[in-house]
Amino acid sequence: MSEKEFLFFTAQEFNVEENSINLSTNFKNLSVWNSLNALIYIASINEKYNILISSNELASSNSLKELYELLKDK
Amino acid sequence: MAFSISKGCSIKGISVCLPKTREDNLDLIGLTTSQKESLVNHTGIRYRYVVQNKDTNIQTLFQKAAKKVISDLKWNKDSIDIIIVISQSSSTTIPSIACKLQNALELPTSVIAFDINLGCSGFVYGLNVVFQLLKSFNNKKSRAILCCGDISSSLTEPDDLTTKPIFSDAVSATGIEYDELDERSVSYFNLETFGSGQNIICTETIGSNNWMRMNGIDVFNYSVKYVPNNINSILKFSGLIISDIEQIFLHQANELINKTLIRSIKADINLAPKTLYEYGNTASASIPLTMILHRNKLKPKNNLILLSGFGVGFSVASVILKIDTIQFSEPIFIEV
Repeated sequence: MSEKEFLFFTAQEFNVEENSINLSTNFKNLSVWNSLNALIYIASINEKYNILISSNELASSNSLKELYELLKDK
Repeated sequence: MAFSISKGCSIKGISVCLPKTREDNLDLIGLTTSQKESLVNHTGIRYRYVVQNKDTNIQTLFQKAAKKVISDLKWNKDSIDIIIVISQSSSTTIPSIACKLQNALELPTSVIAFDINLGCSGFVYGLNVVFQLLKSFNNKKSRAILCCGDISSSLTEPDDLTTKPIFSDAVSATGIEYDELDERSVSYFNLETFGSGQNIICTETIGSNNWMRMNGIDVFNYSVKYVPNNINSILKFSGLIISDIEQIFLHQANELINKTLIRSIKADINLAPKTLYEYGNTASASIPLTMILHRNKLKPKNNLILLSGFGVGFSVASVILKIDTIQFSEPIFIEV
């Protein structure tokens, strides 16, 4: 998964314009971020990449870059 | 892996009892319309049945359900050897609900009665315990009533929009029989416990209240990590493959989890009936409730089915069993 693919996937998941986010975006500051959308995002990551992200891992990631690195390391 | 095989035990009848009042997730206060629509779309849960009178004792619901299944099966009460209740929402810590039910249902004093503290894995755990106990009597025939369910709304903080839209109140009562001449009923169980997940669904004491707290992401993670393995292991142990199974009754957690589990075990989604939209997550009553509401999908005889319950603990239990004709009672709705 490239950074570009990850950003495209994330933009689709949060229903935002692709050019409105980048790797330095703090995804928790997105207006659509809430506990339900977080769960939906985690479930979509599992479906697309077969990777599970725990709530602690999500809590310790702030930027999309940190989340992307986490996914790459799994 | 705690595998076990049980022979000669079968489910004979199932009944359920629910509160009459239904609440709609689209009427939730504190969410925008699009948030509510997204909630319903992704959890799969539109309606929940909720006890209105907060003084309601769960024994009332169990009593109705148990009475119904005994009556519909035309069982003589003296033929019942065991009553077990699986619940986490008793209004009293002592005595057990099962002891109260023995008295209320006028079951013989020879009956074994006790409660088990389990949630969404409870129905399958209960079947395992009942099947093992029934065989232990050395009788040609023995019978049990297994009661499962919760008034989850009594543990739900009114403003908690993580738990409130998910859980629904319901109980079930299942009539189970052991017959030493029954050679066709063979069941394969796999019960497991992942106590590292004890905090992902738990209660928090605030003042005089015990409110249920749920970490939705970690419930998803534990379910996806452990339930498919549990199911695949019992399939392997029994010498079967997923395509041998005619119906799959999963605990009705939420759509995100259940859809992922079905995909993970490579099962046909059409073989896994759902009751989430109309009934929500009814804890340990969800499997028997779903069996009743989708009874038309079962053949009159010789069904090979898989049941899998998972949740608070984190506890996981699956069983593959053969079922013949089951007396499915019409659901009972009561004003509580």
